[in-house]
Amino acid sequence: MKKLLLLTVILLAGCATSVPVERKFPDAPQELMEKCPELKQTEQTSKLSEVLKVVTENYSQYQECKLEVYTWIEWYSTQKQIFDSVK
Amino acid sequence: MWMLSFVPDSWLHFAVIAVLAAGVALYGVSFVLAFLPPFRLYREPARIIGTLLALVGIYFYGSYSTEMEWRSKVEEQQAKVAKAEAESKDANTKIKTVYVDRVKVVKEKQVVIEKQIVEVAAKMDAKCEVIPEALDILNDAAAGVKK
Repeated sequence: MKKLLLLTVILLAGCATSVPVERKFPDAPQELMEKCPELKQTEQTSKLSEVLKVVTENYSQYQECKLEVYTWIEWYSTQKQIFDSVK
Repeated sequence: MWMLSFVPDSWLHFAVIAVLAAGVALYGVSFVLAFLPPFRLYREPARIIGTLLALVGIYFYGSYSTEMEWRSKVEEQQAKVAKAEAESKDANTKIKTVYVDRVKVVKEKQVVIEKQIVEVAAKMDAKCEVIPEALDILNDAAAGVKK
């Protein structure tokens, strides 16, 4: 009888388990998931204006990619801070 | 214990108190039985069962308190998570809006630059001729390093 009681207590204690609250790290905006395109190549030409156009387009492309990287950093820092605030 | 999470609080509380009360009552009755000769035979079993029920009741009361504390913590945690998720969603929207606006500014600036190039194209093309080797170097630099 004593053994049975002891066994019951042990079995019940063994069932004591905690269920964690499920959490999910947020998804990043779709706009930030796009890869930066390759820089444009200049067609064979002798005109400086055409070359300049491609060069400035590439500069513009760089600016967009820079923004994307900065935004990723900002997004991650912000979301991590929010995620870590729950303890 | 995890199965207890499916049982409503009030049912659990009632069951625990019922077992505890039944144990105490049976233990009390076992003393009364001593004064009733026909039932004196049941005195010991009643005392043993009453004691066991009371012990089980106390054990369950402890478990019940732990369960309630756990549920309270889970609710608190869930509220925090819900708040954090709402904040996260807001932050996502703000960051996305700022990003889209900045990209728009970059694109608008490029349009202005292209207009400026068109305006002075004839002048610069007349004064400068780009040799093919210069283009090769430029394209090579733009190609970067391929994986």
